[in-house]
Amino acid sequence: MSAALLEVDRLDKRFGGVHAVAELSLSVHEGEIVGLIGPNGSGKTTTFHLITGFHRPDGGRVRFAGRDVTGAPPYEVCARGLCRTFQVARPFRELSVLDNVVAATLLRHPAHAAARARAEALVRTVGLEARAGTPAGALTTIDQRRLEVARALGTEPRLILLDETMGGLTPTEVTEAMRLITALRERGLTLLVVEHVMRAIMTLSDRIVVMDQGRWIAEGTPTEIAAHPAVVKAYLGREYRHA
Amino acid sequence: MSAVGTPHRYVPLAFLAFLLVLPHLLPNAFYVHILVTMAIFAVLGSAWNLIGGYAGQLSLGHAAFFGTGAYVSTLLVNRYGISPWLTLGVGGLAALLLSVPIGRICFRLQGPYFAIATIGLGEALRMLVLHYREITNGAQGLTVPFKGNAPWQLQFDSKLPYYYIALAMAVAMVLLARWMERTRLGHYLRAIGQDQGAAEAVGIDSARAKARALALSAFATGAAGVFYAQYTYVIHPDSVFSLGMSVQIALVAIVGGVGTAMGPVLGAIIMEVFVQSTQVAFQGEYPGLELMVYGGLLVAVIRWCPRGVIPWVSRAYGAVIGRLPALVRRPVPA
Repeated sequence: MSAALLEVDRLDKRFGGVHAVAELSLSVHEGEIVGLIGPNGSGKTTTFHLITGFHRPDGGRVRFAGRDVTGAPPYEVCARGLCRTFQVARPFRELSVLDNVVAATLLRHPAHAAARARAEALVRTVGLEARAGTPAGALTTIDQRRLEVARALGTEPRLILLDETMGGLTPTEVTEAMRLITALRERGLTLLVVEHVMRAIMTLSDRIVVMDQGRWIAEGTPTEIAAHPAVVKAYLGREYRHA
Repeated sequence: MSAVGTPHRYVPLAFLAFLLVLPHLLPNAFYVHILVTMAIFAVLGSAWNLIGGYAGQLSLGHAAFFGTGAYVSTLLVNRYGISPWLTLGVGGLAALLLSVPIGRICFRLQGPYFAIATIGLGEALRMLVLHYREITNGAQGLTVPFKGNAPWQLQFDSKLPYYYIALAMAVAMVLLARWMERTRLGHYLRAIGQDQGAAEAVGIDSARAKARALALSAFATGAAGVFYAQYTYVIHPDSVFSLGMSVQIALVAIVGGVGTAMGPVLGAIIMEVFVQSTQVAFQGEYPGLELMVYGGLLVAVIRWCPRGVIPWVSRAYGAVIGRLPALVRRPVPA
């Protein structure tokens, strides 16, 4: 088996007395969709921050595409092909939807016309073409999440980290979002996905990593995870019924 | 070609033509002086806008760049007899160099550090100029030697040439802003101004983009300082390096509308009318009162129209343009 695209090795982060991420290791291979789940406060978002350079880890290493990117600033991590979305969408509020995406596509297409053409295509991909000229701050929460995904795709990543893009969506919208994620994978993208919507994560993921209190507690295929005693105890409880 | 025939083209061109003949329509030189001042502040506000408006990095120390341009130029002119046409570039470059360490130190950080550092920079330079009297002549300031009508020395016996030079600089700044809005740097600055973290997440090196904007801004501000020194013949540390000057530069862009190409121009016009009318109203009877009025104006703008006057003006402008006919009929597409 080839080396993993993303390799997280014993990543560690403390905030004061809180051990937010404790010796966490995981890997993501090219073409995979890996789910990262765990109860609220288990360190999933912090893990994303550590991988993408928004926080500097206290210990451990992050390797991406064969290079050590531990502690590299976010823009550098992104330029290497690893892009993330935010749990609470962070659009450039006063810029139009299209200009939001142009800010991202300029990374690979420095010429304005090319960046714009690319951005227009992505705005269509996420179904926001009717709102391309609207200031992003005026979008609904759902549309802001769509924009968040379009913007991340604009940087043409090899691996994309999606942080709870489905929270608060209606079942129909979840189905739609799942279709988009499947389409992304078919385009050759690799995904690491934090998600609370179990129907989605269980259907989409090739592999699931479970965290609890900053630690790795289990890993396996969706079927294995659904039956794993430690996972059921820590997290799933009776909430999850197989769809 | 129908391009010039559309209202979007011919209205700005007509306005520019109006500005070219305007000084000849005015009753006396004092009004031309007001126009020159407006143009200088339009340049300064536009320069400030590159970093303070588009990138949202509040500077309260642009007097540092302005004064550096004015002093470097005047010293070179006085000591070495270098033509001010050359020192326009040299003074700008000196201001640009001054901006480099500020960018290096402040732009990796977020928050008010940049604003505080710029205040400190302006004040520190004012103190240095006051202290090193042998070079700078201290509080008495420097005087540009009077040469009469000497175009190669950027001196004229009429205010008109000054007006046309200042107008050319202002137009150049507006075109620069317009052009920048379509470049990668322009898009990056606006993204950073909205959300620096999100900008970094999509691959934008915010520190580098801000440093570039500040360098451009400092250069233009320094060059405006050179022109100002030539125009007024006298510069003092307490005028060109003052916090009041920094505030006024920022206010021009804020009143007009930050992050837009025409905002600082409108701001410069409004501010100068305001300054002149307060001076007439108070006749210098209550020293310092203007400063309180500026403060009040700043509060009012931030409270009631945080985007400045530009949204109203551009709406009105759009309405007018929409009613104007195209001068050349476009060929009807088959």
